[in-house]
Amino acid sequence: MRLIKHICLAIALILTIVSCARQEKKLTIVLGGAPSEVKYLESLIGDFSRKSGTEVSVIRQPTDSDQRRQGLLIPLKAGEADPDVFLMDVVWVGQFAASGWLLPLQEYMKEDGFDSSIFFSSVFDRADTFRGAVVALPVYVDTGIMFYRKDILDKYGLDLPANWLGLIDIARKVQEKERSSNGAFYGYVWQGAQYEGLVCNFIEISSAYGGCIINENGKVSLKSPENIAALEQMIALISDNGISPPNTFTEMKEEESRIFFQNGNALFERNWPYAWRLHESDGSPVKGKTGIMPLPVGPSGHRASALGGWHVGISRSSDLPEEAWELVKFLVSREVQRSLCLELGWNPGRKDLYEDPDIAARIPHIAVLKTAFESSVARPSAPFYTHISEIVQKYINAALSRNMTAQEALSAAQKEVERIMTLYNE
Amino acid sequence: MNKHRADLLFLAPLFLFVLLFVLVPVIGALINSLFRDVSFLPVKFTGLMNYIRLSGDSAFRKAVVFTLLFSAVSVFLEMAAGILTASVINEEFRMRGLIRGIVLIPWAIPNVIGARMWQFIYQFEYGVHNFFMKALFGMPENWLGSPAGAFSALVAADVWRTTPFVAIIILAGMQNLPTSIYDQAKVDGAGMIARFFRITLPALKPILLIALIFRTIDALRIFDVILVMTGGGPGGTTSSISLLGYKAFLQGDFGYGSAISVAIFLLAFVIAMVYLKAGRIKEEI
Repeated sequence: MRLIKHICLAIALILTIVSCARQEKKLTIVLGGAPSEVKYLESLIGDFSRKSGTEVSVIRQPTDSDQRRQGLLIPLKAGEADPDVFLMDVVWVGQFAASGWLLPLQEYMKEDGFDSSIFFSSVFDRADTFRGAVVALPVYVDTGIMFYRKDILDKYGLDLPANWLGLIDIARKVQEKERSSNGAFYGYVWQGAQYEGLVCNFIEISSAYGGCIINENGKVSLKSPENIAALEQMIALISDNGISPPNTFTEMKEEESRIFFQNGNALFERNWPYAWRLHESDGSPVKGKTGIMPLPVGPSGHRASALGGWHVGISRSSDLPEEAWELVKFLVSREVQRSLCLELGWNPGRKDLYEDPDIAARIPHIAVLKTAFESSVARPSAPFYTHISEIVQKYINAALSRNMTAQEALSAAQKEVERIMTLYNE
Repeated sequence: MNKHRADLLFLAPLFLFVLLFVLVPVIGALINSLFRDVSFLPVKFTGLMNYIRLSGDSAFRKAVVFTLLFSAVSVFLEMAAGILTASVINEEFRMRGLIRGIVLIPWAIPNVIGARMWQFIYQFEYGVHNFFMKALFGMPENWLGSPAGAFSALVAADVWRTTPFVAIIILAGMQNLPTSIYDQAKVDGAGMIARFFRITLPALKPILLIALIFRTIDALRIFDVILVMTGGGPGGTTSSISLLGYKAFLQGDFGYGSAISVAIFLLAFVIAMVYLKAGRIKEEI
């Protein structure tokens, strides 16, 4: 009897604790990224709390984007009241919105007279609008750009390449010459490991060759001749005597290529704009020697940069939607966007900041970025985009590692993506 | 009667634990796998659709082959290395306690950290593997870049990490063996090797079987080492079944992910049954 009494008491105690924790409504935001970024964002959230009087609790997430998505997926699927506000990678917005996890924002925007034309329409229309509803707002927009070594090009009296073939040509010549003094020198570094970044690198070259993953009619067109030519070009970059390091398809993600270039071992580097601040930081061997240009034009006459970036949204299960909307407005406000740009080098989602004199002084290439954003290509925006991406990553990587030819890999990818489309398209 | 009731009462917490943390999730996954439970589509009962899709999924077939091959090779090596290690640390020698402690280190390191260390070993520019490759052959090698290289690297990491576990289980078994049998065998003139194969191994059979089952089930759900070291690459050649399941969940397809989980459960269940059966038959002979 006594034991049963004890068990009952224990259960009662646990229930009391759980219900106490449940009653408290609190605005919760999920933030992730590099430690310095999270720290700065937390200080901004602190400012918001002080000004608005709303207490905000912050859940920290790591840098890895898959882990960040997983951390959001579980509470959202379970319909938890927290988190209320969170940052999303541009490629998740489709999945989250289609799953009904995002609160439509247009009512709030209308009520507050919030003007959405301050954002790049190429970003806002494709990434933040889903089936006619506004589901997110851009906090930070990103796009692929090309870094190059000004000093080395000057040394050999070379001009900037006009197109992809020109870039490869210059990279090969310079690599040969530099090898006499630096055996580890490569002409061009980019992201080829099996992960999301590979898809960005692929669609950039594919679009420059006139290809795409899914065409305007919604049909999969992975095995088009344009894509085969583009992929063969990518394979050739890593082949014997290639201009990209042999570990491109196993290890090269953003940071690996950034460090490779920063150590002075590469002439060109495809990366996101964040690398600029690090290349220019004190102690960097390439400080003052780095230039930025848009990605080169391909045989199709087009240039294309993958659209990336992070967007802020509100959970549909949020218990404090009004407060959450205030926090969202705060994060995309001119003032906050300006300090995020100056402190963290995050490119504002607002167009009006690209003319700001302070920002232009700190980030001299901001004009290059503006053009890049306006000519950016989005990754396919299906709710099951990440599934498509998995398949594309796997086969492109198989081709880069030479386990398959470009044609085999793209045909196999085409078949699998088509299967997924029939499976998930209602 | 009264004692019987007390026994049940004491067993109740454990039973509750098994019910809550083993049976409920397994049955939950089974039920989930019969639905089209995709986050962005309405939930619909689809019967065996997820399993039919599974049987036609070439990535799943490849993952099964990879997982079985990986488990067979790494468990075999772990058992061999485990027996060897246990035999050594079972002997009397100076500082035996210290050596036993050191042997356990790889198992005490969290999996993800251990995998990260192995990844650094193969890192192309700074890894110790290429340090030796450069010193010996003058050329660095991208070891994780070929399917065979990545496979062997994963096996090495797994063997390194779990051999101590096997060794400790076997050591416990060895210490339970009565020394009198060995003394008798010595008197009868049996050498060290004869003693090992004639006495130690047969007497250890139940313990070896336990180690084998534990390790095989563990190896069949290999996940963390692969996620860290290769991410399933190059070109999806090192993707295990668990990794596929994880990716299905991440993509919001909970029904398909559950079907994959059930497949792992069935595979582990069948193999464990085969082991138990095979172990018993030999005992009867």
